Amino acid sequence: MAESFKGELPYLMRLLALPSGVLPLGFFLTRSLRDLARRKPNLFERLGEHGQTPFFIDPTDLNYAFVIVPDGANTDVKMVGKKDTARGEVVVRGPLLSLLGLLDGTFDGDALFFSRGISVSGKVDALLALRNAIEDAELKPSDFIGAGGSIGSVTDRIVLNAVSFARRLAGTPSGSSHEY
Amino acid sequence: MSIELVCPAGTPAALRAGVEAGAHAVYCGFRDETNARNFPGLNFSAQELREGVRFAHGHGARVLVAINTFARAGAFEPWAQALQNAEEAKADAVILADIAVLDYCATKHPNLRIHLSVQAAAATPEAIGFYADAFGVKRVVLPRVLSVEEIAALNKAIGIETEVFVFGGLCPMAEGRCALSSYATGRSPNMAGVCSPPEAVAYTEDRRGTAATLGGFTINRFQPSEQAGYPTLCKGRFVAGGKTSYLFEDPTSLNAAGLIASLKAAGVTALKIEGRQRGKGYVAEVVRMFRRVVDAVEAGKPPLEAERALQALVEGGRQTSGAYKKSWR
Repeated sequence: MAESFKGELPYLMRLLALPSGVLPLGFFLTRSLRDLARRKPNLFERLGEHGQTPFFIDPTDLNYAFVIVPDGANTDVKMVGKKDTARGEVVVRGPLLSLLGLLDGTFDGDALFFSRGISVSGKVDALLALRNAIEDAELKPSDFIGAGGSIGSVTDRIVLNAVSFARRLAGTPSGSSHEY
Repeated sequence: MSIELVCPAGTPAALRAGVEAGAHAVYCGFRDETNARNFPGLNFSAQELREGVRFAHGHGARVLVAINTFARAGAFEPWAQALQNAEEAKADAVILADIAVLDYCATKHPNLRIHLSVQAAAATPEAIGFYADAFGVKRVVLPRVLSVEEIAALNKAIGIETEVFVFGGLCPMAEGRCALSSYATGRSPNMAGVCSPPEAVAYTEDRRGTAATLGGFTINRFQPSEQAGYPTLCKGRFVAGGKTSYLFEDPTSLNAAGLIASLKAAGVTALKIEGRQRGKGYVAEVVRMFRRVVDAVEAGKPPLEAERALQALVEGGRQTSGAYKKSWR
């Protein structure tokens, strides 16, 4: 089903993002999340039995989606087509910048859902477990590349400023009063 | 003494966010069936609670531990362990509902301060007096069915503190005793901790929008342009008399920020924000706003316009003062 959401990347930014579809993002994200599981095992422990659930994550402004099985050191991420929803037991759709905001805790998932900034379907218990685990982990961009100290701080500042700038360009609604 | 702002913490991160945003106290629970917000991925281990209490106390805030489900006959161990863990963590109070748990706590943990959970649905001087006399309860969390005038009258008739909800989800039933929810899901909210257990909830998308089902019953359908709400039966849309409508309650959130001065005058000790299932961003923003309102009221200034400021965070995008102003009377 075709859906559009507030806060999707502007056309020019989508064009710039097009080449990312040919990169082996699944491989890199798998490696990154497995490393993260070694550094932050609590994040994955919170998922309990839901760590083996496949999550279909669809950034609606990109031309591909992901299936993620967040199983700690066995985590697996695959790039898939937009119509491969059957490969996930949970489906989450929304603009890339909104999904990233959920990841770093900038946005409240319930508020985004209420305001229809994202859509969800499938196993709600698994989705809640993932949301709550991510919430508690307080993830930063540097966590995904394993950078610490001053390099980590600089990475976080650069990435978060860039994402914040992109959100202003895209008019991303946060579900929070600050953005309305 | 300032009126106390009590905020929710579903995770250690939310606890830190709430404390740093200005909560006087946070409430949380263990990651098991003793806790009436037993959602997957949420809540605290015994170790996380110890660390959370240390953090809160270090910032001058208190921690209240909700052990507020009803114990199962013959399987009391999780509740006994939760009380033990709360005491060892140096929690400032436990929030209880079940008479058996209350009795056990009063007998085995006499130094633990007891608050009566809203799940006990005690709203009369007689009921509250019983809990105070029998178990030494020091504070009662009032059900969300009383007007400000009724709360003022109640406070004059009882000898313990009262805590009232000021923001978040509303329960229009006797708290935790929703027979509709039990029928649809096969589980009691008082026992399972939630009225819509996540494993019983499903959302499906199609061209007509999003359908929410609970226990296999479709209870609502949201058009793509419509604000969505939680999948609870009381906020479901049903057909009756040929019309589709919210029969029991609209998907709306309580916001009593504008009534804080009245609640203080009515003798209320503490204000509670609902939402342990919400994220730390929500907790921080709501607590920060309510702390400003509380500080303004304490300083004798007019309350801020918290309704407008918090509009986007609430269920259905709509807010109400609930039963505090029984305008339908």
